[in-house]
Amino acid sequence: MHVYIYDEHLNKAKYNRAINRLEIRLTDLGLNGKIIRLGGIKNIKATIQNEIKLGAKTIVAVGNNQTVNKIIGAIIDTEIYSDFKRKTLLGLIPIGDDNSIAESFGIKNIEDACTILLARRIKQIDLGLVGDYYFLNQASIQSAGTTLEIDDYSLEIEERGEVKIINLLSDQSEKIKSNPHDGKLDILIRTRKKDESFITAEKVKINNEQEKLLIDGVFEVETPSEISVLKNQVNVIVGKDRLFE
Amino acid sequence: MFNKESRLEKFKDAETIIGASIKVKGNFQGQGNIIIEGALEGSLKTDSNLFIGEKARVVANVESRDAIINGEVKGNIKAKGYLALGSSAKIFGDIQYSELSIEKGAIINGQLLALAEEHRKNENRNPESDKKNTEE
Repeated sequence: MHVYIYDEHLNKAKYNRAINRLEIRLTDLGLNGKIIRLGGIKNIKATIQNEIKLGAKTIVAVGNNQTVNKIIGAIIDTEIYSDFKRKTLLGLIPIGDDNSIAESFGIKNIEDACTILLARRIKQIDLGLVGDYYFLNQASIQSAGTTLEIDDYSLEIEERGEVKIINLLSDQSEKIKSNPHDGKLDILIRTRKKDESFITAEKVKINNEQEKLLIDGVFEVETPSEISVLKNQVNVIVGKDRLFE
Repeated sequence: MFNKESRLEKFKDAETIIGASIKVKGNFQGQGNIIIEGALEGSLKTDSNLFIGEKARVVANVESRDAIINGEVKGNIKAKGYLALGSSAKIFGDIQYSELSIEKGAIINGQLLALAEEHRKNENRNPESDKKNTEE
């Protein structure tokens, strides 16, 4: 059974047409399921966990990056997580802004998303972990004053720019090979002097006394922080045009 | 034998790139091709190929398969395959190599030691092909 989790922002009137279009398309494809609207629900975690306990085969995040993060946050580190990992698929339907995670999976719009749900092409995806936060895409921080500690060595960066610690590549313009199911993080450092550095690591400790670490463009985390990766944690329904093999 | 273009081809798919603004300290080890354009202090080792750019400053013992060096290295170098020193290379340390090319202008302050033929064969041996030969 499909369970569609509609995020709170979809309650706004400007999304009514998109929702109508989505529901008609899902009906046409025979993909109807249970709809849960997060607007108005106080205990989001318990609601999502309950659906998995009731045997949801596919949980579909309808909304944006934050919707996906809410669903993963509701499941991970709970008693139902092993069931979710074995039996449940995660689907995405992007509506609204801030949908880099869906883009990474090759899901550009509602119509794409419905066709992709029907095709059920599945990939196991790693999760990034910083403290109590899990992320799919990336963590980023200003490069000037940032120190990275990896294995037996450290990197110091004085130039202004950006450090990205990538699990799942979200920007098509980045000309790097990134694999979200290799159990590794890809570290991309790009400074204003237009020089680039690229390293892969399983774990990295990051420190910057002035700046905070931004997770999936949503949460801010103080440093020093340790970022690691958990291999093959989520079964995601992906499109052909995804940004990875 | 030392066609520069064909050698540079090997670095197209470098797994690690240290840019000019980065300073690395410690024991830096990799399994894929490494490009160093910045500063490195400690040790540097890869099972694959190594490229050290013109402005790079490396204070470390360096070990790789093939290596192209255009920057400054203070430390001993061991290239199990071929070693190419560009015109801007400055080496302050001993060098071990299987095959060597030195461009006019390169500075070497140390001893040059060619790896013995037998040692070269062992170092460059491909474990996969060895396995196949044994199986046959």
